[in-house]
Amino acid sequence: MTEATVETSPTSSGVIAKPELPSNGKADVLILMRNLWKTYDMGAEKVHALHGVSFEVTRGDYLAITGPSGSGKSTLMNLIGCLDTPSQGEYWLNGKNVSEMDDDELARIRNQEVGFVFQTFNLLARATALHNVELPLIYGGIPGAKRHEMAKQALAEVDLADRMMHRPNELSGGQRQRVAIARALVNHPSILLADEPTGALDTSTSYDIMNLFEKLHEAGNTIILVTHEHDIAARAHRIISIRDGLIEKDERIR
Amino acid sequence: MSPRSDAKPEAAGDAFGKRISRPSRIRSFPVFRIAALWEAFLVAAASLRQNKLRTVLTLVGIIVGVTAVIAVVTIIKGLDQTVASTFSSQGSTVFTISKRPQVITSREDFIKFNKRKDVVREDAEAIFRSCTACWRTGIAANSFEIAKHGDQKFEGVRLRAVTPAAMFDIDGVTIDIGRIWTESESAAAREVCVVGPDVVTNLFPDVPLDRAIGQDIWTGGHKFTIIGILQPLGKIFGASRDNIIYIPYANFEKNFGAHNSLVVFIQTETAPQLEQAEDQARAVLRNRRGRTFRDEDDGFALETQDVFLNLYTSATANIYVVTIGVSAISLVVGGIVVMNIMLVSVTERTKEIGIRKAVGARRKDILTQFLIEAVTVTAIGGALGVLTGFAVAWLIALLIGFPLLFSAWSAVLGVSTSSIVGVISGLWPAWRAAKLDPIEALRSE
Ligand SMILES: Nc1ncnc2c1ncn2[C@@H]1O[C@H](COP(=O)(O)OP(=O)(O)OP(=O)(O)O)[C@@H](O)[C@H]1O
Ligand SMILES: [Mg+2]
Repeated sequence: MTEATVETSPTSSGVIAKPELPSNGKADVLILMRNLWKTYDMGAEKVHALHGVSFEVTRGDYLAITGPSGSGKSTLMNLIGCLDTPSQGEYWLNGKNVSEMDDDELARIRNQEVGFVFQTFNLLARATALHNVELPLIYGGIPGAKRHEMAKQALAEVDLADRMMHRPNELSGGQRQRVAIARALVNHPSILLADEPTGALDTSTSYDIMNLFEKLHEAGNTIILVTHEHDIAARAHRIISIRDGLIEKDERIR
Repeated sequence: MSPRSDAKPEAAGDAFGKRISRPSRIRSFPVFRIAALWEAFLVAAASLRQNKLRTVLTLVGIIVGVTAVIAVVTIIKGLDQTVASTFSSQGSTVFTISKRPQVITSREDFIKFNKRKDVVREDAEAIFRSCTACWRTGIAANSFEIAKHGDQKFEGVRLRAVTPAAMFDIDGVTIDIGRIWTESESAAAREVCVVGPDVVTNLFPDVPLDRAIGQDIWTGGHKFTIIGILQPLGKIFGASRDNIIYIPYANFEKNFGAHNSLVVFIQTETAPQLEQAEDQARAVLRNRRGRTFRDEDDGFALETQDVFLNLYTSATANIYVVTIGVSAISLVVGGIVVMNIMLVSVTERTKEIGIRKAVGARRKDILTQFLIEAVTVTAIGGALGVLTGFAVAWLIALLIGFPLLFSAWSAVLGVSTSSIVGVISGLWPAWRAAKLDPIEALRSE
């Protein structure tokens, strides 16, 4: 499922050169985006979902991306999460030039560097919570026994130790999202991405999930989440607002 | 990831905080390969379990094809074996001379052969006098009769009049109980007979075989005393070969008249002499019929038992090609069913593929998963098909009546062919699944 040799330090495969460090001298840059474009060719017209987005995210930051519907938030998240590739521009993730990678290299980055949480959970409907959480480890080539142990631990971290053998349709929305979060984190990624993680949840469940994100951030995880709710964005340390595929505002609130 | 772990606050107690290092991954290449395949197999097996209806449909598609192939191959092998062993009982040292060949394919031929002179006893004697390569000679005449004993009646019995007693050896039959007639009994045209076991069981039901010895039976309007019973030969294509009554030829001449053209049997001591013996016998008879080298037709039929084998081979070859073709087509249809179901399954599971890709599955992983799914189903289907194929062949064999050979070879063939069908028909759907774009796949519902 993976190559035989496995990268154990950030200087191995995928690293062409260290990215230019930002001028403010902060050393630990995790994400570096330069003039990122995403253009959809719709035949007659071209839709620019992003036109020229540049920003950086340091390790350990907690960032919220907000903006009106259709502004390009999801497009940007998918690029950050290496689910999609930019039409133009440069993207460095954890010291690797992701914008020049091929399909399989991107799959590897998604597996090792990124944990993605979706609005609609995106769990395998017929598999147990445990199997869902194990999925990234399977593609990471981690042997069975070790995998079980890691997945169980991840489920315990999201308070689902007693729901391991349940299938998604036997779980509540909040529980499903926690399974998804456990899956996102089980492989110890460098960054946790969440695209409207509370979008499908009621208010109180949303707060539970946000508390969990806070806890994860305190534990040292770098988190980027997309939301259009102000109170949720307000719990982050930094808010980027986008409109029409461009960054409108970038403010640090903590 | 040392730089990263340095950045983490040590205080955070939970596992997500302690990003000390990546868990060790499998490094050794061949071991990894097997582990990865096994992993892919488990994923495939889980997905097959989770989609039972689809799995069953695919299974049925392949089982039908393999069943057809296995049943046909098994039946063919069984028939071939039966035919070969039946006709080889007379051995390749025997040839016959008769008025008409054993196989006549047209009406014109039949008329032509009927105009020939009868083969008579003198012909046999002439051959025996001058054929140096000939070892044993005999004559036989056949007719179909009804046999009776008391109230018991047995129809369709082959009455075979032979002489000398060596004809039993040439025919490849042996005495089980009792004895063969003596030279003097034969010469005196005595009313004695040697019968096949079917005659006894039909005329003397519920009586031990040996009690039939010395009993009288009626056939062709004459009474014969049973002096011997033959060992059973069994059935061929459902027809028994044990419903036969042997009587001395002299008696046949006396009671039934020599109106039938007879068959001369000639046996050589060794197989290589056969050709020379045939040439000599042919020369003698052509001479007796006034044939010169200019006459193309011998005026008689000189045949070895190979004619049956040849006839069988040529008659069945086309049938085999057709049946094997039909079953191969059903296997192809099975393959198309598999491909179709897999294509549907790829479409149905686009979301699943998107999820797998989102968490790091590469093209190869998806391709492997779908291929292994296809091969697992088709291999299982193949194995089940082999079993049902054997069962069908067994049933047919039971109805027609011939022994079967269940070969491991055809089982292996069935499973491997269906697996190959699985790979071939799984390849395209698997490839389509593998090259799906993760975002588009995730978006599908
Ligand atoms: N596959 C696609 N093909 C064409 N246009 C697309 C595609 N995906 C997104 N777009 C367009 O790109 C723009 C940004 O879409 P995106 O999904 O990123 O918005 P969003 O900010 O996430 O909105 P929402 O808050 O509603 O989720 C939209 O105008 C959308 O129509
Ligand atoms: Mg969106």
